[in-house]
Amino acid sequence: MNNRALLHVLLISLLVVPATIWGQASQGDLSIPATTSAINAAAPLSPRVVHYEIQAKYDARSHILEATELLTYHNLTGQPLDTFPFHLYLNGFQPSATWMREGKREGTRGQDFDSWNPKSYGEEKIEKFEVSGLGDLTSQLQYIHPDDDNQDDRTVIQVRLPKPLAPDAYIQFKIAFRDQFPETLARTGWNRDFVLGGQWFPKVGVWWHGAWNCHQFHAYTEFFADFGVYDVQLTLPSYEVVGATGIEVGDVKNPDGTKTLTYHADDVHDFAWTASPHYKDYYSTFQSSMGPVKIRIMMQPSHWSQAERHARITRETMERFEQWYGPYPYKTLTVVDPEPGSQAYGMEYPTFFTAGTSWFAPQGIREGPEIVVVHEFGHQYWYGMVATNEFEDAWMDEGINQYSEAEVMDSIFGSSTSIMDWLGVTAGEDDGNRIGYIAADDLDPMAWNGWRYADSESYYAVTYGKTAVVLKTLEGLLGQDTMRRAMHTYFLRYRFTHPTKEDFLKTIEEISGQNLEGFFNQAVYGTQVLDYEVFKVTSYPVQWFRGELEETKGQTEYISNVWIHRKGDFVLPVEVEIRFDNGEKVREQWDGRDRWTRYTYQKKAQVVSAEVDPDHKIFLDHDNFNNSYVVKANRGVTRKLANYWTFLTQLFGQLLTWWLV
Amino acid sequence: MLKRTSLIYSGLSVVRRNQRYLFWFYALNLLLGLFASSVWSARTIPPDLGAQILASVGLSSADGDTTGALQHSFYSDKLLHGMDLNVLLELFSRPDLAPLQATSMAMNVFGIVFFLASIGLMPGVLLGYSSDHRISRGEFFRACGTNFWRLVRLLLLFLLIAGAVAGLLLAAGFGLADAVDNAANDDRLPILVQFACLVLTILILTIFRAWFDLAQTDVVLGDQAAVRKSLGTSLRGAWQHFGQLLGCYLAITVAAAIVLVAGILLWNKLVPPGNLGGAFLIGQATLLLLLAMRFWQRATMVAFWERQKLEAVA
Repeated sequence: MNNRALLHVLLISLLVVPATIWGQASQGDLSIPATTSAINAAAPLSPRVVHYEIQAKYDARSHILEATELLTYHNLTGQPLDTFPFHLYLNGFQPSATWMREGKREGTRGQDFDSWNPKSYGEEKIEKFEVSGLGDLTSQLQYIHPDDDNQDDRTVIQVRLPKPLAPDAYIQFKIAFRDQFPETLARTGWNRDFVLGGQWFPKVGVWWHGAWNCHQFHAYTEFFADFGVYDVQLTLPSYEVVGATGIEVGDVKNPDGTKTLTYHADDVHDFAWTASPHYKDYYSTFQSSMGPVKIRIMMQPSHWSQAERHARITRETMERFEQWYGPYPYKTLTVVDPEPGSQAYGMEYPTFFTAGTSWFAPQGIREGPEIVVVHEFGHQYWYGMVATNEFEDAWMDEGINQYSEAEVMDSIFGSSTSIMDWLGVTAGEDDGNRIGYIAADDLDPMAWNGWRYADSESYYAVTYGKTAVVLKTLEGLLGQDTMRRAMHTYFLRYRFTHPTKEDFLKTIEEISGQNLEGFFNQAVYGTQVLDYEVFKVTSYPVQWFRGELEETKGQTEYISNVWIHRKGDFVLPVEVEIRFDNGEKVREQWDGRDRWTRYTYQKKAQVVSAEVDPDHKIFLDHDNFNNSYVVKANRGVTRKLANYWTFLTQLFGQLLTWWLV
Repeated sequence: MLKRTSLIYSGLSVVRRNQRYLFWFYALNLLLGLFASSVWSARTIPPDLGAQILASVGLSSADGDTTGALQHSFYSDKLLHGMDLNVLLELFSRPDLAPLQATSMAMNVFGIVFFLASIGLMPGVLLGYSSDHRISRGEFFRACGTNFWRLVRLLLLFLLIAGAVAGLLLAAGFGLADAVDNAANDDRLPILVQFACLVLTILILTIFRAWFDLAQTDVVLGDQAAVRKSLGTSLRGAWQHFGQLLGCYLAITVAAAIVLVAGILLWNKLVPPGNLGGAFLIGQATLLLLLAMRFWQRATMVAFWERQKLEAVA
């Protein structure tokens, strides 16, 4: 060992001192460090409830991780606590676990679980559980099942303390645990020689609104945790290229062919890491208003040509989030291009996320890398800093983020080409979100617990699509500036907290100065479907009864009727624009309360068209085709489609004949 | 020894001399394509295949207003003056219309009708190609009638032999690609393996196609009722001139692929989205050329068969 290595060991040991003396700690000595080395701020940004110090050793062959976790918990709940629940997420990947049962029932994230694959097995086993001053409580641990009473589910464990923890007091848990990672499932685990360590350590629940909030792991739900400080030592083979949450503060080579890396993170609520021998690093910088952010892009070698593309979209997204919502306060951001073919694509962790692209990624197809990078970076705000309860209100992270993603993509690539602009085919994000929503628009409300959705289609349609569409509709009704101010206020007010849906909705009402209760009741809390149509349009001469009437444009007087029909059960005031053949336009306002309304005009002109929502503010409408009616048929579109069909039929017939006759 | 270039040019001159067959087949191809797409012009797209076929030939009227939703809505402009994928998806996802399902059925049916018509009419074309004068309608259809079931038997044998070989090759290729995919972290490798396998399969299918084309020519022009005998003779003939025939067929196949890709690119780059006439013309010109390529292969094989016959007599 050379002098430099000795120095590293010394520094590391200073950082992990609490981990080595855990057994001697008494409650009076405990605290959560006020470190700021991983953030561009002089003081802590969050209420630091937890301090995790983890020493872990990963065996890349067996995909087993052995670790000890020292968790210091600060009781900021204002009341004594005598029980503590912990998440053991990796136990979800067992055949009888709730996650797997729901996955089997619905299929989840590309997995259908037709048959059991032993490689899908995951485990998070607590070997020993000790509490400072209270001794070994391993035998006191009990699995609990707060959501579905599945006795075979082992994703939440609870310990009852012999004596309660007083308000404002600290407690320290020392947990020895062993992980068996599955072949990537739900964005954690291994694939070939790659591993993504997500949700891999026993994690304490959140005391929220007077009770512990520690749900079982479900097939669609994500996570919820308190802010704090993380100091993590990872020992793994020395050939691995490793990335993780926070900043790297130590790198020591061990004589057994391994290395020990140490990471530190401030004001985050999770810690994830990845390792693979193949990653190639690409670096960039973003100058935030709080200080420089070092961007590290960990690329697959086969995608290296897309490294700058990843970096560019990351910088452009950070710039917009900073401008619209607020600053990114961390010193690092790690963007991971995960192992091809793995189930590790597109997942967010604090200061770290996985993106996803493929070798075939033309500039005009933006699904990978652009959309996924924008989306996962957005989670640094809507999940990372504004840490909503992802179990209970998935729409508040996924949906709000989906809306922000569309805003960013639209601003960079244009609203009608933000998903695709390739070979003459175009697609925009806002319309894409709407298409996602209308696939399953009336089964579940947005305000619905993640595990209670009817099925996976409804979960994705509502949490992602509907939320984005509802917020885009609000933007249309309130104006983009107002909506931006509302989002900005919401972010600044609730960053580093766990806001509720009411906090979010009230912020919009407050900033817009409008009572939106009726809208929220239908859009957020209800399953009403919005669908307005131009039901009928007629024009006839006032003097129709005269036998030989000669109609002259501009002179003959007509009575015109336009019927507007509210087909859905969602009531929303709408505008209607009626155009006449003399160029005149009339705008009408309809409160939408009745099932239908009729507008009648007597003019020297006939109606040529009628359109509901002529400014296209209401993205919630289920059917856009019936929003307008043009009296004179435009056969161009059916001819165009018929031409495609003719071509394809001829080509199909010819290809069949080419090879068989 | 036959010269490949002369064979290809002989085939080309045969096609040029007998352009009427090409244009008949093209007209049939277009007509069936128009039938399949006519559901877009109907007031509604009927839900079942029988009704669609009747609607396609104008024998049923509908009581809905499917295409009306397209023709009377501003929203459709996104399909006319561009190709907005979201609007197309919304159109296809409407359960009340289900146009994709309906029109796909029509597309399949009329594509297969063209294929069956080709089997029925090809003997007449081969006879015409081998003749130094314009054959009569009677001769044409007599050849078709005489040889129809022979060609069907050859088709079944082709499906059996080429299908098995192609199936095995593709299965092996996909298996290899899967193995590469499991082992390598470079996502380009399995695609390259699949592509290589596909090229190999096309190459082998081209060889089979040349063999069976020669057998069809022998069956029709040699009036050979025992198709297995023709298959054997053709195999020997094709084997003796393997490189020459494969070269001709591959050259024409590559030319056809270039025609198709160039046609689609020209359509995409040159024709504005709303220019229906331009799109129709480029699309049809591409399809006509594509069909001509296949007729060129058939004519080349007729020229080869005739030269072989002459060599045998000499």
